[in-house]
Parts: sequence; structure tokens; C-alpha cells
Amino acid sequence: MAINKIFICDDDRGITEMLEMVFELADYSVVVENNSLYAYDSIKRIQPQVVLVDLWMPVVSGDLLIRKIKSDPTLENVYVACMSASRDGEQVAMDAGADIFIAKPFDLDQIMAIVGGVSA
Amino acid sequence: MTDNPLKNSAYFDDPEMTSLIYAALDASSTGIIITDNRLPDNPIIYHNKAFETITGYNTTEIIGHNCRFLQGRDRSQEAREQIRQALQDGEDIRIEIRNYTKKNDLFWNELYISPITNAKGEVTHFIGVQNNITARKKVEEQLVVEKESIERKVAERTENLRMSEEYLNSIVETIRESLVVLDPNLNVLTVNEAFLRTFKVTRSETIGLRLYDLGNRQWDIAKLKNLLEEVLPSSNPVLGFEVEHKFPHIGHKIMMLNAHRVELQGKFKDRILLAIEDVTDRRAIEKRKDDFLSIASHELKTPLTAVKGYMQLIKRFMPENNPKLTDIIEKSDNQIERLQKLIAELLDVSKIQSGKLDIHHDTFDFDKMVRDTIENIQLNSDSHKVVLRGETNAQYDGDETHISQVVGNLISNAIKYSPGKDRVEVYLSTLKNHIKFSVKDFGFGINMEDQKKVFDRFYRVDSIQKKFAGLGVGLYISEQIITQHGGTIWVDSDAGEGATFSFILPHTEK
Repeated sequence: MAINKIFICDDDRGITEMLEMVFELADYSVVVENNSLYAYDSIKRIQPQVVLVDLWMPVVSGDLLIRKIKSDPTLENVYVACMSASRDGEQVAMDAGADIFIAKPFDLDQIMAIVGGVSA
Repeated sequence: MTDNPLKNSAYFDDPEMTSLIYAALDASSTGIIITDNRLPDNPIIYHNKAFETITGYNTTEIIGHNCRFLQGRDRSQEAREQIRQALQDGEDIRIEIRNYTKKNDLFWNELYISPITNAKGEVTHFIGVQNNITARKKVEEQLVVEKESIERKVAERTENLRMSEEYLNSIVETIRESLVVLDPNLNVLTVNEAFLRTFKVTRSETIGLRLYDLGNRQWDIAKLKNLLEEVLPSSNPVLGFEVEHKFPHIGHKIMMLNAHRVELQGKFKDRILLAIEDVTDRRAIEKRKDDFLSIASHELKTPLTAVKGYMQLIKRFMPENNPKLTDIIEKSDNQIERLQKLIAELLDVSKIQSGKLDIHHDTFDFDKMVRDTIENIQLNSDSHKVVLRGETNAQYDGDETHISQVVGNLISNAIKYSPGKDRVEVYLSTLKNHIKFSVKDFGFGINMEDQKKVFDRFYRVDSIQKKFAGLGVGLYISEQIITQHGGTIWVDSDAGEGATFSFILPHTEK
């Protein structure tokens, strides 16, 4: 079964608006959260198949959010893709338990392929 | 009767004997005179030949005169008074006195005067014996002059030394680095003002103490011990040795040390000079700059990511029959690529500066990497044909992304700086245990002066700067990448004849 629910968490609206448009056009159901403080609760409620999360965010950082998701047994099937423009982003993301790291600026085809490749 | 033959009247009566005695007196080089004290003014009654030779006067000018004519006008000598006294007391006297020849030339006379008394004890005669000691006197005077001159020189040298010392001292006290001098047992002999200022101590709580014991053993630093006890004894001097330490009062310090042990034989042998540069602030500034570059490139990348996404969306929804729009989109895309590359370069520079440029080693097909890079460049540039010649056939072990970045950089530069030409040439070859990449263009070329600097960070050739955009970091990054792979990169060029950029990388085929 193909996935249809994507959760996007990034404090930068420029990024979330663009991704939201891209994925909605590709017929995904998209939920965007710009405040990472509320992200974890939303994810638990919505139960998305894929989470796209930024690293550098105020209050709750991306890696902290990833750790929370990955240590929650009820979310064990969630695929977490971490995206960042930071130079040491990959190390931080993988250490936190992300399934994949996507460096910003990314190629849309690449990100679509990654999300498309995740089977529920 | 007496043993003295001269007092034997038989000899005096013998005229032959008398003339022999006169001859003997005349053969002497010592001047001899006899004066008769019984006559007024004590005149000379006899002189020998040598007296004439010494004084330059002849017999008629001597006999009957008082000796004082020898003193010329030089009448105020102390010696005269001594002679007068001796004559009056009827005593022998030996004295050095200034006399003058007939020609008024000065000569030093070592004069010996002996009174002759008769049976009644009255002084009847004086015998004067003269030696010309001018030569000896000259040597003596010379010695005195020399001695004075040596004393003067010593005084001058001492003064010079003192001034040099003061001069050196003022240098030592003026420089901003801390200086410490240690004896062979690592006790502090001296420190300069900068040391006292930097480490907030006084001279009295520093000098004479063992270095490690300073300030309640604050200086008991493992890395410093390692430098002084392990490194310095085997490799003297040590330059740029970094020590990081948290001092209880002044806090965390990063220090750059130069250490030098005096090897010269002598009283300073085995003393240790320690120059300490406090680089804490500089490091903090460097770090802030790095952080800034890193944050700036992060912040720049975020909107770029969004724009890139929208561009891709636009392409997806593009009406197929609008070539004008397709062209515009294509060009916008190229500009976005350029922007992305510039941001990446900035980040690379900051990574290199902070030593964080990671090189991932992996085996890859070198020739294919070059072909792919060329193909990629040709996609965006049809002004020049990139001609590839030769091959390495190497399965090279290194960072493909970075090496490809260098290859792309060099080829793009070759195209960029040869406008109006239609090709650049790439050569691949293998040398003994090395692979070589060269790219030749037919453009402006680079003059000798600039060839040395083109690999410097942010350096841009003056005449180029105004005509071509760029940050001036491409070659700097390229050189860093090649160096980190153990290779070298260089340029050959004659101005006006184009330029050839080459690099070689160590490689042995397994």
C-alpha cells in the first residue's frame, strides 16, 4: 500500500509552504508544523507514514524530536527523513536515529523519490 | 797600597796607561763628563766622545760650561731640583731628565751623578754619566698611550655592551609576547613585562621558582612538561607548540609556545628561552568568523532550497509549446546553480580554515570522473569544446566529489578566462607512481607575479577582477583538496599565451 500521510516540521515557512505545495500536488495528505514544540503531539495524533524534519529549530531541535519519535514504540513504523543545510547535519541526524539525511538545498526529484520509495 | 790599578800612582804616571784609559772612555757609548766643583759655577773639565755624539756639541762648546746648557729652555723640570739637592748634599743621584741637543732635539737622559771627595771630605769633582734613553722612553710612552687607548676601548666596549644590553632589554620588554628564561633545572631566571601582565603575577612571586610551581602549581601543565622534558631535548628549538590550559584566576588560555635551549658553550649554556603567545582571543575571533560563515551559508541555503523547489514545480507545469518561457526557466535554473555553488564554496573555505574539510576515501574510476565532469560542464557551456586526450586507467583512492570539484574548477576557469577562443584541452597521463591532470587554455595567460598568488585565498588577478565575477576561492579550495590528497597543483603560463593548470596525485596501481 502506498503511503499518503506526510508530516513536515520546519521553522522556515519558505520551506514548508514549498514542500506542502509539492506533496499536495502529488496527492499526498500533508500536515505542516512550524513550531517544533507541538510536533511530537501532532505526530502521535496523526500517525503519518513519513516525517520530514529540519535540524536547526528553536526550542525543540530536530535531533531531539527525532530521538523522541524513535524511542516511542507506538511510532516505530514512522520513516524519519532529516533535512538540513548545516555542515555537520548528517552526523547529528544519523546519531539521533534518522532513517535518511537530505542536505539542503535538495533536489525535488530526489526527495520525491525517497518519499515514494517508503512503503507503508 | 790598594788593589785598584787606577789608584795606583804607577799607572797614572804611565802616559801609555793614561792614553789607554782615555781611549776606553772614548770607546764607550755612554756619555761621561767630569766637572770641577772647586771652580766657580762647577764647569765641565772633561768629556768623552760619546758625550759629543749624544749632545751634538763640540769640545769648545762643552769645556768650561756648566751642564745646564743641556736643558735648553726647559727649566721647570722637577728633576733639576732633585739634582740641586743631591749636589748640595754630596750624594749620588740617578735621574731621568729631558735634555736638548745642539739642534734643539729632545732626548731623554738617564743621568748618574757621583761626587768625588778629597781627603778632607770636600767635594772636589762630580762625574756625570749620560745614557740616551729616548728610544726606551718612547717605547714606555708608547706603552702608556697604548694602555690608555686600551682602557678607553674597554670603557667604550663596556659602554656599548651596556647600551646593547639596555637596547635588548627594551626590545624584550616591548614585545607583546611573554618571555621566560629558565635555568637547566627549569627555575625561572627572568620574565618580561608581558608575562607579568598576561598571567597577572608579580616578579617576586615568579623569579627563582621552578616553572611548574608558579602560582600554586598553576603551571604544572602536562603538555608543558612534555614540551620541556620530552620534545625540547630531542628537537631544539621547538616552534609553534600549542598548549591549552585553564588557569584558576585568569581562566582558559590557548598559548602558542616557542622554546629554545641555548647550545652555545659558555655561561648561558642549557638555559631555556620560552616565548609564549596568548592566542586565546585570536582563536575566539577565528571561531566566531567560522560560526558566522557557517550560519550565513545555512541561512542562505534555506531560501535557496525553496526557490529550487518552486523552479522544479514550474518546470513540471510548464506548457509545452512555449519555447521562450522554457529558455527563461532554463537560464534562471543556471543562475540558481551558480548561487548554490558560491554558497558551497564559502562553506568550503570556512571548513578548510577550521580544518574540518573531510576527505572521504573511496576507490573510483579517475578517467570516468573526468569524463563525467567534462560532460556536465559542456551541458552548460557550448562556447568552448573541451578536448580530452590521454588516460590514466587509474582506480584512484580518494574523495571523488572533491577531486571532481577541482577538475570542474580548473576546466571552468580555463573556459572563463579564454573568451573568444573555442576550445580547451585536457590531458591525462600517468607518471611513476603518480597520475597527472592538466588543462590548457588559449586565453590571456597569467604573468609570473600573479602565478605565485593565484592559489591564495580571496586573491584575484587585478586585470581579471573588473571583468569577471567570482570570490577568488576556487583555486584556493582546489589547492587545499589536492594537498590533502598528498598531491601538488601548479600553473605554467606566459602572459598572452594561455595557461596550463596541472595537478599530480600519488597513485600506485594495486
